[in-house]
Amino acid sequence: MIPVLVKREFTTRVKGTAYILTTVVGVLVFIGLSFLPPIMERLSSSIAPKHIELVVLDQGIESSHLPFLLQLSQEREDLTIRDASGLDERAAYAMVLDENLSGLLLIDGPLCTLVTPDSKNVVLNEEIENVVNQAATLWRATQLGLTQDEMQSLFHAVDFRIREVAPEQEDGREVDQVAQTQAMVLAYFLLFMIYMALILYGNMVASGVAEEKSSRIMEVMVSTVKPVELMFGKIIGVGALGLLQFFVWISTGLVMTFLGRTSFLGGLLGVAEPLRAVPLGGILWFGLYFLLGYFFYASIFAAAGALVSRVEEVSQVVSLLMMFIMVGFFGAYFSFLNPNSSFAVTTSLIPFTAPMVMFARIMLADPPLVQVAASVVIMLLAIAVGTWLSSKIYRIGILLYGKRPSLGQVARFLKG
Amino acid sequence: MSLVIADVTKRFRDVKAVDQLSFTVREGALFGFLGPNGAGKTTTMRVILGIIKSDEGTVTWKGKDFGRWGTGFYGYLPEERGLYPKMRVAEHLEFLGRIHGLDKQKARRETSRWLERFELGDLGSKRVEELSKGNQQKVQVIGTMLHDPELIILDEPFSGLDPVNSALLKDVLLEAHDRGKTVIFSSHRMDQVEEICQDIALINRGRLLLYGNLKQIKKSMGRQILRLSLEGNTDFWARIPGLHLLQERADYLEFRLDEGVDANRVLAEAMEAGQVIRFELVEPSLDQIFVEKVGEGA
Repeated sequence: MIPVLVKREFTTRVKGTAYILTTVVGVLVFIGLSFLPPIMERLSSSIAPKHIELVVLDQGIESSHLPFLLQLSQEREDLTIRDASGLDERAAYAMVLDENLSGLLLIDGPLCTLVTPDSKNVVLNEEIENVVNQAATLWRATQLGLTQDEMQSLFHAVDFRIREVAPEQEDGREVDQVAQTQAMVLAYFLLFMIYMALILYGNMVASGVAEEKSSRIMEVMVSTVKPVELMFGKIIGVGALGLLQFFVWISTGLVMTFLGRTSFLGGLLGVAEPLRAVPLGGILWFGLYFLLGYFFYASIFAAAGALVSRVEEVSQVVSLLMMFIMVGFFGAYFSFLNPNSSFAVTTSLIPFTAPMVMFARIMLADPPLVQVAASVVIMLLAIAVGTWLSSKIYRIGILLYGKRPSLGQVARFLKG
Repeated sequence: MSLVIADVTKRFRDVKAVDQLSFTVREGALFGFLGPNGAGKTTTMRVILGIIKSDEGTVTWKGKDFGRWGTGFYGYLPEERGLYPKMRVAEHLEFLGRIHGLDKQKARRETSRWLERFELGDLGSKRVEELSKGNQQKVQVIGTMLHDPELIILDEPFSGLDPVNSALLKDVLLEAHDRGKTVIFSSHRMDQVEEICQDIALINRGRLLLYGNLKQIKKSMGRQILRLSLEGNTDFWARIPGLHLLQERADYLEFRLDEGVDANRVLAEAMEAGQVIRFELVEPSLDQIFVEKVGEGA
């Protein structure tokens, strides 16, 4: 019987406008993301100042930054410094306004003040601050009597690497920083997808049940089909829709990744390197934890949907469930910072949060196999218990109309 | 070989919706299930079908627990009509056929046959929500009968149908009856029940008031109805004991005769009072039995 129900659920929804629309919008977003880095680049270059032309008035007793600013302006093409010595402040500023220059810089020993008609132009003013800081560094270095070579060695970046060695291993491999960042971005992205999926499809299940109640088809159905079968037909049907949608989206993402020079994942965090291989492992783990999480939550969503008479009331009863999912999401988010903390380990074994936290841990660290297996077993048990309890609420709820039952009444459904 | 409801009780909190109810529907019967609003008809049907569990009592079909027969042998039309509004009519009916155990081809074949029978042939590709209420109801009736069930249970099937479609439904039910199917339907339209049912059960407040063969019930009521039309003094009847005026119509007066009242004596008195135009002894209508029985219980 269940295959017939699944088929109905799937075929009627897959042709629905809402489903097609979200799928298409998702595909467009994925395509859009892969164009994000070049767009961002163009955008930022259009905002950035092309040329800085400063009027500088040194009011200090001793000369300080000015010679170094002049030195910098010779090295950099996009920087022009006009020495306004001899003019008074008013005349110097008039020059800025007349010729539409970047600003007037007043220097008094170590103190620098920028006089500008537009203090809101953050990009320009920050760039000016950078220039002044560079000049200041040069000035101080000269005061300390450093040579050019000494200067360079002082600012030379260290060659910093990370080597990860597991306790039972003799020697580890060097960590590829780019790969690490990409793994992070991918993990974060897929985690967000699980979070979205649980909320999106959970709600679809709940409102589907409420729809069956409000259209009064429910009584025909339960006279023929066992309520549990009806519930599973809906859960599996909606789950299949979800998998199809993700298949389309992830395929789009991967195709764009290989077509384009920049990766669509890179677009999210501005990592310019393309993905080096299909993150197949990650996608498979995603599939597993999406399904575990979905089956756990979907039955509870179905029971929640059975408690209301109209689709409009669904959001009231599912808000608590959404809270649990959000807690799981933020739990996973904190686990990103330290995937092996006791907080992460604990939440990766609690059914409400495990699908997200354990997934995040697997993506970022290599959690002990025992823990991974334990989380899967716990999830399977939780699904069994959850669906059993939910089906009890569902069975009674689906024939209730009118006032929504109280929590006490729901507890009685569970006993009966 | 029949549907046996034995000592069924169903409580909702403290209210007994069905109270020690027992009756039997013999196989092949066209059975009317009657009662005023809130009598417990729908609850009884739901208990029979196992949609809700009874607190006490059993329901058996052909000697075996009802729930152990599977679901393909019956068809049920609930009082609250409902279909998936977004599905296409033919698609929906095929789906209903499938969940009742038909295979794909049979479901498709029966769907088009029944759509023709109910004069909905050109609506198969429409969405359910585009249909009128009456047509939606016809679609649902088809959904109940599509898989040719042995037992057909209909809750208020005639409500919401116009006279043409009522007649159509009546034909369909009689046809099913002729083919040996067992049909149970509830109604508050007594004329329809009287017209097609042999057996009835009348319940009120979850209890059985009347049950059995309709003709025998009428006979056993132990009294008759007199319709009298008279030109002259119509007040004579007040002198006759055991004669109660039921209603005063433009064309005739209707009386109830107590048991033992001699109809001939009434006729003689009437002839003395004036010109008798109509003098007719009839069995009480189901309507009258209904009102009387339900009134007694109140």
